[in-house]
Formats: sequence, C-alpha cells, structure tokens
Amino acid sequence: MKGTDSLRRGILFLVIAVLAVLLILSPFLLSSYLIHILILIFIWSAITTAWSYMGRFGLVSFGHGSILGIGAYTTALLFNYYGLSPWIGMFIATLMAVLFFTGLGYCCFRLGVAGHYFAITTLVEAMVINLLIINFRDFTGGSLGLTIYPLGTAPLFFQFESKTYVYFISLLFLLLTLYIWKKIDRSNAKRALIAIENDEVASSSIGIPIVKYKTVVTAISAFLTSIGGIIYAQYMMILHPDAITGLHVAAIGVPFKAILGGIFSLWGPLVGTALYTGLEEFFRVAYGTRFIGWSMAVFGVVFIILIIFLPRGLYGTLDQIFQERKAFKADKHSTIP
Amino acid sequence: MLILNGLVNGLLYGGLLALLAFAINLIFGVLNVLHLAYGQCVMIGLYIIYVLTILLHIPFIISCFVAIVALVGLNILIHVSVVQPLLKTPLLNQLIALAGLIIVLENVALGIFGGDYLGFNLIFPAFAIGEVYIRISMLIPFLCSLAALAILWLFLHKTYTGLAIKAVVQDREMASLVAMNTKQIYLITFAIGGLLAGIVAACFAPIYVVHPHFGLAFTLTAFVTVVLGGLGNLLGGFIAAFFIGIVSQIGAIIFTSEIGEILVYVIFILIILFRPQGLLGVKVRSA
Amino acid sequence: MLNIEKLSAGYGKFSIIKDISIEVADGKTVIIIGPNGAGKSTLLKVISGLLTPASGTIYFDGQRIDEKAPHEVVNLGISVVPEGGRIFPELTAYDNLRAGAYPKRARKHFKENLQEIFHLFPILKQRKNQLAGSLSGGERQMLAIARALMSEPKLIMLDELSAGLGPIVVTHVFEHVEKIKARGYSILMVEQNVLKALRLADYAYLLESGKLQFQGTEQDFRQHPHIRLSYLGI
Repeated sequence: MKGTDSLRRGILFLVIAVLAVLLILSPFLLSSYLIHILILIFIWSAITTAWSYMGRFGLVSFGHGSILGIGAYTTALLFNYYGLSPWIGMFIATLMAVLFFTGLGYCCFRLGVAGHYFAITTLVEAMVINLLIINFRDFTGGSLGLTIYPLGTAPLFFQFESKTYVYFISLLFLLLTLYIWKKIDRSNAKRALIAIENDEVASSSIGIPIVKYKTVVTAISAFLTSIGGIIYAQYMMILHPDAITGLHVAAIGVPFKAILGGIFSLWGPLVGTALYTGLEEFFRVAYGTRFIGWSMAVFGVVFIILIIFLPRGLYGTLDQIFQERKAFKADKHSTIP
Repeated sequence: MLILNGLVNGLLYGGLLALLAFAINLIFGVLNVLHLAYGQCVMIGLYIIYVLTILLHIPFIISCFVAIVALVGLNILIHVSVVQPLLKTPLLNQLIALAGLIIVLENVALGIFGGDYLGFNLIFPAFAIGEVYIRISMLIPFLCSLAALAILWLFLHKTYTGLAIKAVVQDREMASLVAMNTKQIYLITFAIGGLLAGIVAACFAPIYVVHPHFGLAFTLTAFVTVVLGGLGNLLGGFIAAFFIGIVSQIGAIIFTSEIGEILVYVIFILIILFRPQGLLGVKVRSA
Repeated sequence: MLNIEKLSAGYGKFSIIKDISIEVADGKTVIIIGPNGAGKSTLLKVISGLLTPASGTIYFDGQRIDEKAPHEVVNLGISVVPEGGRIFPELTAYDNLRAGAYPKRARKHFKENLQEIFHLFPILKQRKNQLAGSLSGGERQMLAIARALMSEPKLIMLDELSAGLGPIVVTHVFEHVEKIKARGYSILMVEQNVLKALRLADYAYLLESGKLQFQGTEQDFRQHPHIRLSYLGI
C-alpha cells in the first residue's frame, strides 16, 4: 500500500510540475487572444473565489458589484485626476470599498438582517452604487464609461502594453485567493460559520460570536474582490458601470460561476469561471450577437438542470465522488473488523 | 404644486407596484421562494401582447387575454420544472436557479426579437383636477390593479382554496393534516402569480416599451417593495408599494429619475436596518 | 377499523419505532402510553402520512394507507389533533373550523356540523371571530379538537392533549374527550398523563423505547406491577 501511495504522490507531483511549466510558458507560446481569455479567467476566478468565502456559508451576496465598482472607479479616478499611481490608489480604494461593504454587512449582521433579506439588501446597495456612478456622469463618465489615461508601458502606474505582466499578476492573485480559501477552510472560523448557518440562535447560545465571524469573512471577501476589480479595470483600461457593477456581471454572473463549479470546494469557482467564460467566448465568436441569445438561453437551461441534479456543482460533485471512493477504499482496506 | 403631482403619480404607480408585490408575497408566503424571474414573466407577457396586437392585428383585449393564459401556463411550467425540485434545497440554490431563469427568459427574448424596442407609441390624454395632472395611461391601470386586488382579497377570504392558501402560509404541515393538498396549493399559487403577471403586462402595455432587459429594472423595485413591507405579508406589501411609489415619483420630479431610484434604495436600506423584518414582517431570528 | 401490523419507522439511519402492531376497533378508545421519546408521536406521524414507514402495513377500513399522503389519509376519515393543537394562529376561530371542514364531504354539512360544535363547545361560539392565536391554552386545545371534528372523521387521533396545560384545564380537556367518546367516535390517543388516560381507555398499549412492551384493558394495566410502579405511582 505504501508503494502505491508514493507512486500516486509521484504522479501528482509530475502533473503539477507539468501544469506549472505550461502556465509559465503560456504567455510566450499562445496567441494574444488566448492569453486575454486566460487573464479574464484568472481575474474572475479570483473574484468568484473571494465571493465564495461568503457564499459557501450561506451569506449570499448579490452586491459584490458595489465592491468592484468602488474599488475600480476610485483607483481610476485617483489616477486620472490626481496622477496617483494605482499601486497606491489600490489600497485607498480597497479600504473605501471594504469599509463600505463590510460596514453595511456589520450593520446587517448586528441588527439581524439575514437570509433573503440580506441578499436583497446587498442587491439594493449595489444598485445604489451603480446608479451613483451613472448619475455623476461629469465625474465618472456615466454610462459611456471611463477611460484610464494611457501611458503606454508604465509599470509604476500599473500599465503594461504587453499582456505578459498582467498574466502573471493575475495568476499570482488567483493563487492568493485560493490560498486564503484554504486557510479559511482549515480555520476555526469555518466550523463556526457552518454552525451559524445551521442555527444562529443555537450557535450564539453556546457562545459563538456570530457578528464577529460574519463580519470578518465579509471583510476578507470584500478586500480580495476589490483588488480583483482593480486589476480588471487596469487591464481593460476602460470602466463601464454595466461591466463592473451591473446586475448581469456581478449580481448574477459571479454567483453563477461559483455555483457552476461548486461553492463548497476549492477549485469549484475556478472551474465554474473557466467553463462559463470559455463558453461565453465560444458562443460569441462562433455565433455572433444574434445567436448569442439562444446559446445563452440554452446555457441557462442547462445550468438550471445542473443545479437541480448536481447541487454541488460540476467540480464539487466530482470531488464528492472522489472523497466517497477514498473513504470506501479506506474501509475496504481497514484492518479494523 | 410639483409635489402634489408627484404624490398623485406616486399613488398611481404604487397601485401597480402593489399588484406585483401581492404576487411575489403570495408566492413567498406559500412556498418560501423568491420568484426572482417575475419581472421577466411580465416581459414575456408584454412581448406577446405587442406581437399579437401590432404584428397580427388582433384586438388589444384579446391579446391581453392570450397573454394572461400564456403566463399562467409559463408559471405552472416554471413551478413544476424549476421550483418544485428545489423546494427542500438550500436558499442559495433556489435563488441562483431562479437567477438562471432570468438569463433563460431574457435570452430567449433576445434570440427571438433581438435588442430592438417594441411598443405602442401611443400618446394618451391627460386631464387636470385643479393643478394636478392625471394621465389616463396611468389611471386605468391603477383602477384595474385595485379591482384585481379586491377580487383577490375576496378570493382569499371567501373561498376554500383561499383559506387553504392562508393555512399553508401559516403552518404547512398542519394544513396537510386538515386534508389540504399542499402540492396542489403550491401549483395554484404559482398559477395565480402568472395570472397577476398577465394583468400587470396588460396594464404596462400602453405605457412602456419592451426589450429583453425590461424585467430587471422594475423587478428590483418590486422586490424592494416586498421586502420593505415584510416578506410574505400581503398588507405590508400593499402599504410599501404606495410608499415607494410616492417616494420615487417625488424624488424623480424634484431631482433626476436616477436620484429618485437612489432615494428609494437608500430609504429601503435605512428602514431594513432599523426593522430587519420589514414594516409588517415577523421577526424570524435575532443575532 | 385501524389495523397496524409490524410497523417500523425512523428518521434516516435512526430507527424510532420497531415492529409495532396496534388495533383500533370501531367506536373504541385506544390509548398509547409511554415515556418521552418512546416514539409515540412518531407513530402518529406515520399513521397520518407525514412520515413514511420503513416496513409494515397500516390498514384503515380495509384500505392500505401507509404510503398515502397526509391529505389523502385525512380525506379517508382520520382526523388529527397534533401536539399543542397547532391551530392556525392568524385565522379566526371560525376560519379554523372552516379549515377543519375542508374535505368535500364535510363542506356539504358545514352549517349543521358547526351548530353541533357550538353546542358541544359554547365558548367557541362566543369567540368565533377572535384570532385563534389570542385564545388561551385550553381554548386553543378545544378549538383544535373541534376543528378535527369538523371533517366528519371516523377516527380521531389525539397527540399529548394534556401537554403544557394546567391541571384544571387538563380535566376540562379530558371531559371534552369523554363527550366525543360518548358520541361514538373511534379514538386513538397518545398520552403521558397515564392516570387520566386509562380511565377513558377501552384498550391500551405501552410503548417504551420504540417497542410495544405491554397491552391490555384498563384493569390489566392497573394490576401490572411494573406499570403500577413506573407510571401510576402506586
């Protein structure tokens, strides 16, 4: 048995090594278009993973668009109007976004706004941010969008003409969000939050600080989401309220991708985002705007069927099957009668 | 007297919101499900009315009738295929499945009609009482809405099915123990939702133009109304509808229409924070 | 009338009741007594259709009902007063009675049955337009029993009628049961108040840890040493 174990580990290591090499070499081997898709996948996987820090514990947020909006727009505006480098602006903007979203979250948790009510509240505040951005169009460009003043290649101002740098920055960022997912999964917070999701009253009666745990996980989620949004904006060089704070992208899109892959597993959001983004691009290229309606409609139907039959998402279900087989095999080989 | 106009318009708008709120509250009260795709159902109704009336020259009233029947069918289909299988699953799955439905319906509309706007382009007269202008195009839907609500109220309080609906809202299990077929009640509730969506579409048809993203705009307002009044509480939704109608109209008249919307949302957040269960809602749990 | 054979049921992996066989003859009052957690409520849940049994059969009036949904069971003539009564708090007392008369056969005679109920329970007539949630504990229990009667049942199942009620109220409640018994209804009653329950029983079963430990008439129970010690305090 020990022999097969180390063989298995060896194969795993080999696979990871090959993947790592492929990932590192990709920006030099692939076409500009494919690198673009990969970057989008990395950034949105990171954002979706950050969303799932909350989502997996029943804290359904339809309002992450507000975090993306505040983060991206503040950074861009600070740069456009004051020449402040996004590397610094990033932190100011993220601080604002985190304070706003977590502050609202804290108020909700403290005052007992939960479940459906919390979900709708987050949706509403995201709409407020969306509308504010649109309304103050002299400042933000409104629905027409905001262009970041182009400087060519200016690493100190987070602008790169070559996609390679953004590729690695977003890849590292994605790895960071996955790492933090793992940390949360291994912490006491995880068990506390599961208890809270199951029965708040019971949890608080055994001394679990409900508000504290909910607030902390919200803050972490907001922090990473904001940075993800800023990276996205700086990469695209254009900000649009619909593309960042809009309902389709942030309220529906992010949770969608997370659940598609499976919100209870580490790789779930990544798999979901990769699949969703890949399919979206495929349909757009293959069918153009006219047929994208039908293809997205079909996709939506498939998604609903998926939720009904595979509630743990695509990757999540596979993961569960693997875990069960592992447990079964362990049972079979157990020396305990 | 700008504010008075805002008030009156707000009341009229509120009347329509009240119908939407009633449907969403009913469905939530009975099934504990937020019908996120309700706005899209209304949108489909509007498309049907426009296609029949404008393209096929069928009389308006008949188109409305067809739309109502179609929406009842659509909602029954939604209930059986999407909602029922997910009744015992976690909150997130239900919400996301319905969000998926939004995507499906919007894109079906996009696929069939493209992104073009479709509408009547009619101008209706307005008459004045003193300094207040009342548009016929808002008055008639308002009256229809009140009539529909009155009939629904009678239905709930005078018929056995209505009694069953009220019982299921309060205690599902006990309702089944007094021989009420809860599965059937769920279906009937969704069908009523479809019926109301059809009526709303008929009321909206003269006023608005439809496009694939039509649903999202007022769906949010509808849900804000429902949550504000207290999820599942019919009277609360009714009151909240007029409150929100008035606030948004006055805000739109004094500032811009975006500010009007923002005002509604901000007030919503404030009220929810101070009364997490909504105006007339019941406290479920405390932190 | 009601024939239960070798019934076993539970929740998931947890078995609550095992191999229960019970019979309720026409017009008789059968009591099931036993300590907390013995499975008495679970048994009623299975009979009423809220829970599916793992094995065993239930026959009512010759028809097999163990796989039927609750509303079907009630339509066949079994009425339930669950623990706590569970009246609909936001409906008036009158509407609660209307709810009881939901089965189609009961709707036809609603007016007459209502008069009968008001005759049996005059307080309900007084309070008919009051919200059921605002009634006192004893009145609510009364309403729950009345509601069960409105469906013109053949068998009435009562779950822990005395639970949570003060002693005087309990006495009243048991007087109601006597009235019902006198009218010839078949009754299946689950009770913790052994003393009062035995007095009404034509036949009784002792359920402990999910299994039937003893059965017999009121006399048999009064003379059984274990029962005298543990349940009657004699």
